[in-house]
Amino acid sequence: MARWIKILEPLSILSLIGCGIWIFYGTPIESEMGFVQKIMYLHVPSVIVTYTAFFVVFAFSIAYLWKRDIMFDQVAKSSAEIGEVFCALVLITGAIWGKPTWGTYWVWDARLTTTLLLFLIFAGYFLLRSFTKERERAARLAAVLGIIGFLDIPIIHKSVEWWRTLHQPTTLFKVEATGEAKPAMPMELLLPLLVTMGAMLIFYFYLLLLRIQTEKQYHTLQELIANNEGG
Amino acid sequence: MKSTYKFLIGGIIILVVLVALSIQGLQEMTVFFHTPEEILQDTEAFERKTIRIGALVQSGSVDWDSKNLLLSFNITEDSKHFIPVVYEGVKPDMFREGQGVVVEGKMKGDTFYAHQLLVKHSEEYKLDPEAHKDKKDYYKTLDQS
Repeated sequence: MARWIKILEPLSILSLIGCGIWIFYGTPIESEMGFVQKIMYLHVPSVIVTYTAFFVVFAFSIAYLWKRDIMFDQVAKSSAEIGEVFCALVLITGAIWGKPTWGTYWVWDARLTTTLLLFLIFAGYFLLRSFTKERERAARLAAVLGIIGFLDIPIIHKSVEWWRTLHQPTTLFKVEATGEAKPAMPMELLLPLLVTMGAMLIFYFYLLLLRIQTEKQYHTLQELIANNEGG
Repeated sequence: MKSTYKFLIGGIIILVVLVALSIQGLQEMTVFFHTPEEILQDTEAFERKTIRIGALVQSGSVDWDSKNLLLSFNITEDSKHFIPVVYEGVKPDMFREGQGVVVEGKMKGDTFYAHQLLVKHSEEYKLDPEAHKDKKDYYKTLDQS
């Protein structure tokens, strides 16, 4: 794991810097929104990282409930922390983008409300963990909440189709009248977006491994202290 | 082993109920806006109430009085049902004819008096081929454009 961290660290830093330069100096200005549209390159990849991070929470929470191996809980906890940060980033960049395009920072439409709900569920996830003293019990309860919390993501994704919202429907998975799915975005904008998503995912995996490593070290330290006190 | 099963079954039941309740609750809550057709079918029900209407701005109907900050236009969803809207305030930058808007306000007679005008963004991103002849145009900032 330490080797992977060493590889991912320079890789994520360099790719994010590269994407930043590309976004501001190498991609064309969108004709409807103008310069403001650049925030898409931070907003949408943050969404992807949030979805990925909470999916990892979901998968490892199920694995924990099934196998009761504390290692799975460490991964779920680490991923949840990163997911929460990126979820906040989604809400903040969305508000900054909303003001010049919609004319408001916030509305209580289905897309925005369900996204805030996701943030609040995982805020509850950390509260639950810190209020539960016993390690096993905290892991078990958190796993259940982590699984429930993830179920909000398909609802967020479909919210723009199911309900009337101010937020526009999906661009990347747009289905044409012919039934063919095609992103409603020219290649000059789509390619840097996809590459930035990749760079942000690399950054996510770097943060995840780093966080799991510190979590494991903390766990080992706690065990040492407990053994010392016992002996 | 038995208690694990109990926990699992109980958990699944709670989960299903929670999801069902939240979806139902959301469905009732999230009529974020009405359509002009719904308003015109039952005008009395919407009279004096603060409501939101979502529709497209009818092309050629926009009248912008920049001195008195008075913006008036017609909105329609199906090109059959039209509602005239009057909005007092600054015209949003993204406001265009044919654009989707959500207006919040009250019906007075046949006219909708809006106190808030939100502009919807289309899911389609576009490029103006004329605007990027020079590579330098790529990094024009807001104040230059």
